[in-house]
Amino acid sequence: MADLSRAMHVSASGMDVQTTRLRVIAENLANQDSIGSSPGADPFRRKTVTFESKLDSALGANTVRVKRIDRDRGELQLRFDPTNPAANANGYVKLPNINSFIEVMDMREAERSYNANLAVMHATRSMINRTIDMLK
Amino acid sequence: MKNRVNDWFSFSVYRWGMDTTGIKLFDLAEKRLAWADQRQALLAANIANAGTPSFQPADLHPFNRTLSRVGGGVQPARTDPAHRGRAGEAEMAFPRQAGSKTKGPDKNGVTMDEQLTKVADTQSIQALVTSIHKKYTAMFAMALGKGQS
Repeated sequence: MADLSRAMHVSASGMDVQTTRLRVIAENLANQDSIGSSPGADPFRRKTVTFESKLDSALGANTVRVKRIDRDRGELQLRFDPTNPAANANGYVKLPNINSFIEVMDMREAERSYNANLAVMHATRSMINRTIDMLK
Repeated sequence: MKNRVNDWFSFSVYRWGMDTTGIKLFDLAEKRLAWADQRQALLAANIANAGTPSFQPADLHPFNRTLSRVGGGVQPARTDPAHRGRAGEAEMAFPRQAGSKTKGPDKNGVTMDEQLTKVADTQSIQALVTSIHKKYTAMFAMALGKGQS
């Protein structure tokens, strides 16, 4: 039974990090058009999430947690728009390096991982119930 | 004196009799359940870490191998709290690194469908063992004359 409740905690940690990942994807998609406000200013840069496995000493199990949320240092696209307040001296505006296709694919993956953790949780729950049923 | 001998005799018959019929099965069921529980925890960790870079999935040794390791034979005594557990405890099985064939650029070795199949497998093993356990308990109850009213 102790192992089963440990499994529940591990699955919960998995769901938790996928939720964080989904939040970051939402931020990216929402800021798809967030450009700087002053001439030549940097726009919103895409955020990325990295996970790491962590041995929870209280649980004695490998849970997962968010290692860090980084900024994608990829190249920024430029658009010629001289009237824009964010345009630089040559009339170019820096655009966020966000590709909505990549974000949506990432979202799908986060959803699938979340579902997989949930499925394990359901399985574990039914195992706990069956163990309790042995008392009957 | 005679009474005590008789008591001892009936006690050993009781023990011996139980040992060959029921207890062994319960002992086996307990070990199998502990194995399934522990495996479930490991598989949950594998699935939770499906997106962790360079994480390798772990699995337990098959139960028959685990059983032959902890089953018969002499068990070392536990004379210090720091010693590893006795047979039948959760430590009876050792996590094994389950090598995976597919590896992406993040060097993660978890294959989701493989892990979920193992979860389903563990679940049905647990269901089987708990049903057998319940059945045997019911048979004991029947032998004791319960449930006939």
